[in-house]
Amino acid sequence: MSSESNISKRAVKLDACPHHDGAADAGETPTPQMWRSLDELANTPEFRESVEREFPVAAGEWDDEASRRTFLKVMGASLALAGVSGCVKQTSENIVPYVRQPEEMTPGKPLFFATAMTFRGYARGVVAESHEGRPTKLVGNELHPASLGSADVRMHAHVLNLYDPDRSQIVNYAGEVSNWNTFTKTIGSDLLAKKSSGGQGIYLLTPTVTSPTLKWQIDALQKQYPNLKWHQYEPVNNDNEKLGLQQAFGLQDQFVQPVYHFDRAKVIVSLDCNFLMDLPGSVRYARDFMNGRRVLPKQGKHEMNRLYVAESSPTIAGAFADERVRVKPSEILGIARQILAGDTTTPFLKGVADDLAKNRGASLFVAGDGQPPEVHAIAAAMNSKQRNIGKTVDYIDSVEANPQIQTKSLGDLVNDMKQNAVDILIMIDVNPAYDAPVDFGFADALRKLSNTPGKRTVHMAQYYDETSFVSQWHLPLAHELEVWGDARAYDGTATIMQPLIAALYQGKSAHILLSILLGAPNRGGYEILREYWQSVRRRDFENQWNKWLNDGVIADSASKPRAVALAADATKQGPQATNSGREIIFRPDPYIWDGRWANNGWLMECPRPLTRITWENVITVSPATAKSLFPDGRFDDYTSKPKMPVLSLTVNGLPELTGTMWILPGHPDDCVTVHLGFGRDRAGRIGGTLESHPGFNAYSLRTSTSMWSASGLGIKETGEESMVACTQNHTNMDQHGRDLLRVRPLHGENPAGEEEAPRTVSLTLYPPYPYPDDVRKGNKWGMVIDQNACIGCNACVIACQSENNIPVVGKDQVTRGREMYWLRIDHYYQNKPSDKDETLEEMAKEAQGPFFQPVPCMHCENAPCEVVCPANPPCTTTKAPTTWCTTGASARAIAQTTARTRFATSTSCPTTTAGSAPKCRRWFRTRT
Amino acid sequence: MSQIFHPAANAIAKGSIFGAVFIIAAAAWVFATLDVSPYYTEQDVSRAQPVPFSHEHHVNGLGIQCLYCHTSVKESAFAGIPPTKTCMTCHSQIWTNAAMLEPVRQSWAEQKPIQWTRVHKLPDFVYFNHSIHVAKGIGCASCHGPVDKMPLMYQANTLRMGWCLDCHRHPEKNIRPREEVFNMNYDPSTDEDLAKELGVSKEDAKKYADSQEELGKFLVEKYHVHKEQLTNCYVCHR
Repeated sequence: MSSESNISKRAVKLDACPHHDGAADAGETPTPQMWRSLDELANTPEFRESVEREFPVAAGEWDDEASRRTFLKVMGASLALAGVSGCVKQTSENIVPYVRQPEEMTPGKPLFFATAMTFRGYARGVVAESHEGRPTKLVGNELHPASLGSADVRMHAHVLNLYDPDRSQIVNYAGEVSNWNTFTKTIGSDLLAKKSSGGQGIYLLTPTVTSPTLKWQIDALQKQYPNLKWHQYEPVNNDNEKLGLQQAFGLQDQFVQPVYHFDRAKVIVSLDCNFLMDLPGSVRYARDFMNGRRVLPKQGKHEMNRLYVAESSPTIAGAFADERVRVKPSEILGIARQILAGDTTTPFLKGVADDLAKNRGASLFVAGDGQPPEVHAIAAAMNSKQRNIGKTVDYIDSVEANPQIQTKSLGDLVNDMKQNAVDILIMIDVNPAYDAPVDFGFADALRKLSNTPGKRTVHMAQYYDETSFVSQWHLPLAHELEVWGDARAYDGTATIMQPLIAALYQGKSAHILLSILLGAPNRGGYEILREYWQSVRRRDFENQWNKWLNDGVIADSASKPRAVALAADATKQGPQATNSGREIIFRPDPYIWDGRWANNGWLMECPRPLTRITWENVITVSPATAKSLFPDGRFDDYTSKPKMPVLSLTVNGLPELTGTMWILPGHPDDCVTVHLGFGRDRAGRIGGTLESHPGFNAYSLRTSTSMWSASGLGIKETGEESMVACTQNHTNMDQHGRDLLRVRPLHGENPAGEEEAPRTVSLTLYPPYPYPDDVRKGNKWGMVIDQNACIGCNACVIACQSENNIPVVGKDQVTRGREMYWLRIDHYYQNKPSDKDETLEEMAKEAQGPFFQPVPCMHCENAPCEVVCPANPPCTTTKAPTTWCTTGASARAIAQTTARTRFATSTSCPTTTAGSAPKCRRWFRTRT
Repeated sequence: MSQIFHPAANAIAKGSIFGAVFIIAAAAWVFATLDVSPYYTEQDVSRAQPVPFSHEHHVNGLGIQCLYCHTSVKESAFAGIPPTKTCMTCHSQIWTNAAMLEPVRQSWAEQKPIQWTRVHKLPDFVYFNHSIHVAKGIGCASCHGPVDKMPLMYQANTLRMGWCLDCHRHPEKNIRPREEVFNMNYDPSTDEDLAKELGVSKEDAKKYADSQEELGKFLVEKYHVHKEQLTNCYVCHR
C-alpha cells in the first residue's frame, strides 16, 4: 500500500553495553542520528565536556557554603564523641509476642491483601504487602481488570502518602483543635434544623464517585432531606467526553462511557488522547496496546498495530505513534473533521484513510479529555462507521454513581453560594479553593460563606489544604489503605477496598462522615459496607464476601455493553474554535495529577516523561517558538545552560503568571503547555507552603470556558532566569559515532551500520570472570530487555524506589546530578536523514520520538557496585539467577535462548508483567 | 627561687616518659579485653525475665521440641517467640495456680502480651535470617549453646562479627545433617542414622562419623553452601 513507506514501524533492537563494542570511534565524531537533548544535537562544547566527565559537573564537588574543612572542624569533636558512644553497652530490649497469634501470620514474613486505589474516582486493583501490620508496597492485582498485575507510577507511590506526616491529623474548627464528637453534635443539630424544610440549603460537593456504597448512603441522605443538592467537581474531568457521547448517540439525560480494547485494534487513531497514562483504565490499556504491538512470529503474529496520533501537548502516546501530527489544540477539531470527511490531502490523513479502509472493525478512535465534545462525537461516529463498536470499543452506562457535567455542577454551586442559598456545605475530598476555574471565584465565595453567621461549611480532606483554610470545619480524611471502602473500575468491576492498618491519625472515611450525617455516628465502615452489599447480593453472602476480599474483585460486577446507535446529528458542527495567535494548553501533571499527590516526594522527584524535569512545572515551548521569543540569538545559549528564562503569561484578561521556559523538541509551535498541580500554598512541606512552593499555579489562568486550552496568549520575557532540575542531560554517554539505541522498520532494510563487527577489545579493568569449565557446575547468564515495549512511564523507577525505600534528594541535589535512582528511562530523539543543511530548530521539529530506553542494572561481570548492592544481584554467580530486584522494565528474549531459560518476575511494568504476556526480564544462559 | 619539684620527681618523669608506651599498651589491652569480655558482650549473663522460664525444664525435662514454640524458625528470619496462647495450651491445665505463672495468666486474661527481655541482640544493620541457617544444617546449639541446660536463658556466644565470620569462612566446622538441627546434643560419632541422613553407604558414613571436618566438607557440598559468597558484605548487611 502506498502509505507503507512513510510510516515507520519500530523494532528497537537490543543494544549491548556501549563500552564493550564501541570500537568504531576513529577520527572525528560524526553527528549522531540519535540524540538525547538539543545540546547533544548542537554538539555544544558544554555537552562535549559533560560527556567526557563521568558525572555531572557538580555531582562530585563540594560547593556548599561550608567547606569540607569547616565541616570537619565543626564536626570533629562530635564525630570523636560519637565514636566513644559506640563503647557503651547495648541497652536492654524487649520482645513482645502476640497473645493470640493470627492464623496466617509468620513473624518476619509479609502478608498480601487485595484492595484497590482510586484514580479519577475509578478503582485500580492492587495487592498490598504488609509486614506485621504495616503496608509497605503496592503492586497490581492480577485478577483486577484495570491492572492485570501491573501498576503505574501513582499506584507505586500511593503508599508513601500513608506515612506522610503532613497529612491532616486532627479535627479542626476555625483553626482550633476540635474533635469528632463535637463535630457530630454540631452537624446533628444543624441538620435537625433543616428537617422541616426538607434539607433546603444543604449542599454536598464530592469528586467523581464510583463507590456503590457511598452512592447508597447519599441516596439515603437525599431521602431524609429531599432538597439536598449533590454537586461533583474534579479539575481534570471528562465533561467533554460525556457531552460528546451524548451528542453522538442522541442521549438526553443518560451518560455513557467507552471501554476500549486496544489489543483487538490494528489501527488506532488518537485525537489528543494520552491513553497510555491519563485514563482511569490506562494501566490496562497500555498492556492491551502493547499486546497488539508485539510481533510474535512463533504465534503467527507478524504485524504490529499502527498508531496515528494527532496531538497538541506531546505525550508518551505521541512518542509511540507511527505517524503523528503535532498541532495547536484548536486545530485537532479540524483534523477530526477531515478524517470524518475522508480527506486525504496530507500524508497523515491519507495513511489513516488507507489503513481504515483495510481494517474495518479493527480500528479504534480515541479522543482526549482536553478536546471539545465535537471531537469525542466524531471519534464515536468513526468507531460506529468503522463497525468497531462491540469489537474494539464498547460503550457502557457511565460507571460513575451520579454522572454530572462537573464544571457546570461546580458553577451552579458557586452561583447558589453567591445568592446566599447555601446554608450547609459539606465538601469531601475536593480542593476547589485551589483547583476551581478561576472565574468562579470559589475561594472567595467559600470564605464569605464561612464567615457568615448561621452558615456551616465542612471540608473533609487528607490534608489541611487551601479549601480547609477557608472552611469552618476541617475533618481529616483517612488514606485509602486505612479504611473500608469500595469503588468501581473503568469497566464497572467493583472492588471492596480493605484497610491494611488502623488509621494512623484521627482520619475517617467518607462512609463514616455520611453515616454521621445520616444520624448513625457509631457505625463502622465494615458494617456499612457489608450492609450495602448484603442488600444487593443476598445469596451465599458470607462466602461471596470472603471471596471478594480474597480476590480483590466482585465477580460479575462489570458493566454490560449497551446498545448505542449513532444519532442523525451525531457530528453536527459546533462553533469553530478560534485559531489565532498563541495558545496555552492546560494539562494535569503526569505524576502529581491535579495536585492531589503534590506532597508525595517520590512523585515530585520522578522525572516527567519527555521533559524529564523534576520538582516543578515549566512553560513548555517548541524550539522554533523559543527562537521567535528570543530572536537575538540567545536561544543558542539556552540550549546549553541549566538556567532557563522566566516568562510571564497573560490570557483571558487574568493577572499574569510567571514560570520558567523549557524547550521541548516535538512541541507544536505557537503554543505553550503548562501543567496543573503545582504552586500550592497548603499542600505540605513537599508540595508547597505559603513560604515556598515548587513551580507555579497554572489554575490561576484556567477559566470555566477554557478548561483545557485558551487562545490569545501573551508571552513576555521577565529578564529573570531560573534553575531547572532536569535529568535529561545527566549520565550522558559518548555514542562514539554509533547509536546507543537503534530503530529500524519492522519490514525493510536495516540502516547502514546496523551490523557491526564483533568486538575485539574488552574495555574492562577487571580480569575475566572465572567460569567453571563444566557446564553442569555453572553457566554464564545474560539478560535482554524488549525495548519496544517500554512506554517511558517510569513505573519501574518508582517501583524500585518504593521496594527499596530510596530517599528523594530534593531539587537542589537533582540539579547537581545526585538523584538516587537505580534505574532510569533514557529518551532518545532521532533525525530523519536529510541532505539539506538544516537549522537546529528544523532538525528538532522533524525529530522522531523520543524513543525510550530503560537503563537498569546491567548485571556486568565483576561489577564493583555489585558487592554493595542491596538487591543482592546474581550478576557474577554461575548458578541460575533466582532473584532480581522485583521491579524492572519490559523485557523479552529476542536472542537465541537455551532450554534452561529462567524468568524473573517483575511487578511494575504496565506493558509486560505477569499474566498472559511474556514475562518482563528474561534470563538466558549464554554458554552451553 | 627554690625548686618547685623535689629531685625525686625526676624519677617519676623518666618513668612516665618510658612508661608511656606501656601505659598506652596496657590501656589498649584493657580495652581489647573488655571489648570481648562478658561485661561488654553479655556472653554467659543470665537475664531476668517476667516469668523465669526454664529451657532446661521444658527441653531437657519434658522433651518439648524447639519448633513447638519457635514456630517460624524454618521459614522466617525471625525464629518466633511464642504467643501467650502457646503457654496456655498446657498451663491452662497444669500449674494453674502457680504464683510463678501469674504474668502468663494475667496476659491471657487482659490480652496484653508478656514483655520478655531480649537475650540475643544483633545490631539493626545485621540482617540475620534463621531460616537459611536451619535449612543449611546449622544446629540451634551451634549458636545458642546448650539451651537444654539453661535454667534461665543466656547468650552462649559473643555474637560479635568475628564469631560470625569464623563460621562463614569455615562452615564445615559446624554444619550437620538437617535432620539433626534441633538435636541439642548432636554428635556424629553416635548418630546411628547418619548413613541414611547423608544418603551414603554405612562404610562411608563411618568416615564422616569420626571426623567433623570430613562430614562438614561433605555437607557443604551436598547442601550447596556457596562458601565463596558467604563472606560478602551484602550477605548480612544491606
